[in-house]
Amino acid sequence: MLDDIASLSLQAAISGLSTRQQVTANNIANVETPGFTADTVSFESSLAEAVGAGDPTSAAISVTPTGDQPGVNGNNVNLDSEVVTATKTGLQEQLLTGALTSTYGLISTVLKG
Amino acid sequence: MFDAIDTSGTGMTAYRTWLDVIANNIANVNDVSPTSGPAFQAQYVQVQPIAAGPDGVGHGVTETGLPASSAKGILEYDPNDPLADAKGYVRRPDIDMSQQMGNLIMAQRAFEANANVVERSTDIYKSAIDIGKGI
Repeated sequence: MLDDIASLSLQAAISGLSTRQQVTANNIANVETPGFTADTVSFESSLAEAVGAGDPTSAAISVTPTGDQPGVNGNNVNLDSEVVTATKTGLQEQLLTGALTSTYGLISTVLKG
Repeated sequence: MFDAIDTSGTGMTAYRTWLDVIANNIANVNDVSPTSGPAFQAQYVQVQPIAAGPDGVGHGVTETGLPASSAKGILEYDPNDPLADAKGYVRRPDIDMSQQMGNLIMAQRAFEANANVVERSTDIYKSAIDIGKGI
């Protein structure tokens, strides 16, 4: 009952966003580290496919280098876009956790009668 | 759990160390030493990323050393200085103030960015903790 497609999709998305926040934190922690290559997280397309196939738990979270052009010290962290990502990820996470709470709220209503 | 906060914490530690080092360099910018001894040596902060775990997510940055600049400094002719040698020379540190000030701004902004991410991450973890609250 608690593992319907909606809840599982939300959980998978929250897990992806959590990884994205960690990666963003790591990129910003290394914003001045010479030779550091920034990473980016993608899970949305894999999750969409997995939901289409009926099994959101099979979605993969992939961490890949951004491929941005490095500066003179070999570091390619783009601070502006990282801060935007951190803020956006925070808001998305709040939206998803709210949706998950609503989903559980429906079940709670049924249980309480 | 709460890894993003730890990661930003390593960034804050690294940039605070950098701020401390810059403050010390600037505090000693006018140190005078006799030519028989070394001049004050400006310090630099050396860092490297902390290796990523099996999931490919890195864990921040760590300080690996504080290398010092040359002890030769700059020879300056100042025969009135009590530390001057027989020819009237003293040693002053070879510190570029504009470089130090530039580094200061970089360290300060980077520290702020990390503090900002701690806040964002706190919001995320809070909302995760609040899943199912009030139902």
